[in-house]
Amino acid sequence: MVLIQLVNGLMEGMTLFLIASGLTLIFGVTRIINFAHGSFYMLGAFLTYELVPLIGPGTLWGFFAAVAVSAAAVSALGILFEMTALRRIYGKDGILQLIVTVALVLIIRDLVRMTWGANSVPVQMPDALMGALVVGDTYFPLFPIAIFAAGLTVVLAMIWVIYFTRAGILLRAGTDDRGMVALLGVNEKLIFTAVFAAGAFLAGLAGGLSAPYGEVNYLLDTTIIVSAFIVCVIGGLGNLYGALAGALVVGVTKAIGVMYFPRLSMVLIFLIMAAVLIARSLGRQGGPAR
Amino acid sequence: MLEKKNTVAAVVLAALATSAGAQDGPVKVGFAADLTGACAALSEDGLNGAKIAAEEINARGGILGRPVELIVRDTQTKPDEGAKVARELIAKDRIDVLTGVCSSAVMLAESAVSAELKVPFYAAIGSTQRANIELYQPYFWQVQANATMEAYAAAEYVAKKPEWKKISALGSDYEWGHTSVAAFTERLKELRPDIAFADPIYAKVGETAMAPYITATLAQQPDAVFAPLFGPSLGATLKQGQGFGFFQKTNLVTLMTVDTLQSQGVSMPADNVYGIARAPFFALEQSPEVTAFIETYRAAYGEYPTDWAINAYDGLNFYAAVAEKAGTVEADAIIAALPQVSFDGLREKGLTIRALDGQMNAPVYVGKAAKVEGYDFPILTEVEKFEGAPLMPAEDLILQAREAAR
Repeated sequence: MVLIQLVNGLMEGMTLFLIASGLTLIFGVTRIINFAHGSFYMLGAFLTYELVPLIGPGTLWGFFAAVAVSAAAVSALGILFEMTALRRIYGKDGILQLIVTVALVLIIRDLVRMTWGANSVPVQMPDALMGALVVGDTYFPLFPIAIFAAGLTVVLAMIWVIYFTRAGILLRAGTDDRGMVALLGVNEKLIFTAVFAAGAFLAGLAGGLSAPYGEVNYLLDTTIIVSAFIVCVIGGLGNLYGALAGALVVGVTKAIGVMYFPRLSMVLIFLIMAAVLIARSLGRQGGPAR
Repeated sequence: MLEKKNTVAAVVLAALATSAGAQDGPVKVGFAADLTGACAALSEDGLNGAKIAAEEINARGGILGRPVELIVRDTQTKPDEGAKVARELIAKDRIDVLTGVCSSAVMLAESAVSAELKVPFYAAIGSTQRANIELYQPYFWQVQANATMEAYAAAEYVAKKPEWKKISALGSDYEWGHTSVAAFTERLKELRPDIAFADPIYAKVGETAMAPYITATLAQQPDAVFAPLFGPSLGATLKQGQGFGFFQKTNLVTLMTVDTLQSQGVSMPADNVYGIARAPFFALEQSPEVTAFIETYRAAYGEYPTDWAINAYDGLNFYAAVAEKAGTVEADAIIAALPQVSFDGLREKGLTIRALDGQMNAPVYVGKAAKVEGYDFPILTEVEKFEGAPLMPAEDLILQAREAAR
């Protein structure tokens, strides 16, 4: 029983990480808190809903292709937003970030409502992932396990890019000292745009991957952004490993909490958050972002 | 000087126009609805149903010979905004009756405004029993079964399953979830003393990662799970439960209105889902009125009418019937006429309002979800209709609850 709850927690944690990693990546480099991150997630889910019936409906490759195309489309929107709006406010008053990104939240929400209506839309699950792995009397659902595997792949790919490629070196350098990187002749603007595009891609990816399992409606943006922020606060905003740890802590705490302290399970997560804030005001990992 | 005179004249004219309007102009229905926010989908359907009712009433000559006009405002599903909008509708638009609300919290806020400004207010979507019991006020009525009645109906249904001996509850962690579980448990204990109840489990409102709750519920090894969940949490439970063998191991008894059935589509579990509904169009007696309404609704909006649309339609037609009986739309006359009207609605004939709590003897439907030829979404089959009157909380219980609340 504990084992299943642990698996449940890890699986929810991985989805949370996919969302939070984009948020934390964008903040780490650009110092922008992107409130529209949840909206990118929601768009990823709705685009997947549209694309699944068009690309090999019911098949495994069709589903992942639909999700990838959706995430790419969301990423393109992210690039557009970064180039037209965010570029103008880097390094300026924090309130401007709030105004610009929340404006995008409201615009996307209204457009989604106008396009897809107020009801939840059903996203088809690939046939191969419908069932469960039955071990004795215990069911392990296939779909979240597959999402966990997909998330893990993304995590490994991110670590590889950030720590073992030239792009990653530039990115880390940009995080440490923007001015210096610019002095060395690296196009700083390009780094920022690329990071924002990657962050938006991750959000779109997370939205698409979770679409068949949760509920897809126009309120998804705010639901998800709150969870993402909790993860980031526990992990330290701007810290990728922190986000991973934070996401898994939130997922597992909730799952185990429901089992043993059903009345406290929600409070537990906030208690952890409060404890982290009191102990280390910069997040679980402490120190400045890297 | 000339300008000033003109202003005075305009004011006088406007005053005359208003007072004349109150008698001869349209009957104004203030639709303060939760058109954005968590309740948006339900409120939109309600508005669609009310629009058809208004058109039909106008086509047959209006209410007391006056046309009906719907004045629509958005409450954003926020209680303070709902109260503000209700005040504006009453003060500025001079509405004759207020309705449209979906969320329980907004409903109670609007009911308080209705009491204060003495304007009739009825609910056709929101259904908290608190509006009938503790926070009852004489200008209020509701035209669907309240939450307690629905929970009682679920208990009556479950009681008829002798093979179900252990029951769990999985509810949304707010007032509706908790009071529904309490009412269900209370009624079922009376009906079936042999049934064992596990500790209820509650998930936060709007939760969509239901896997841990599903696992915890299954760990109790229940024969059936009573689940007052709605919207996203319910949808997520239906989808995610399948991966845990939920619908092989136990049965789910939950709220299952037409919009939920539609949004589940192909992902509805094949078996063991039982739904409570308020006005499932496919299970109503297919009278000429019902089939005509379904056709009109489909022609206008391209989809089947949901429970919310049907109740909002019945609600406005009922108001029209009460106004005809009262011979006026004046508030106190409407309230006096309210319990005297026996109304034939789409759901059934002989619907009336009890004066004590403003509750209509509206029926509750419980059935088994299944895919049926002819619909591209699952519907409820083997539907059992529970008459409203026996489900209504007893009068002495209401008086006691009111006394306790005071």
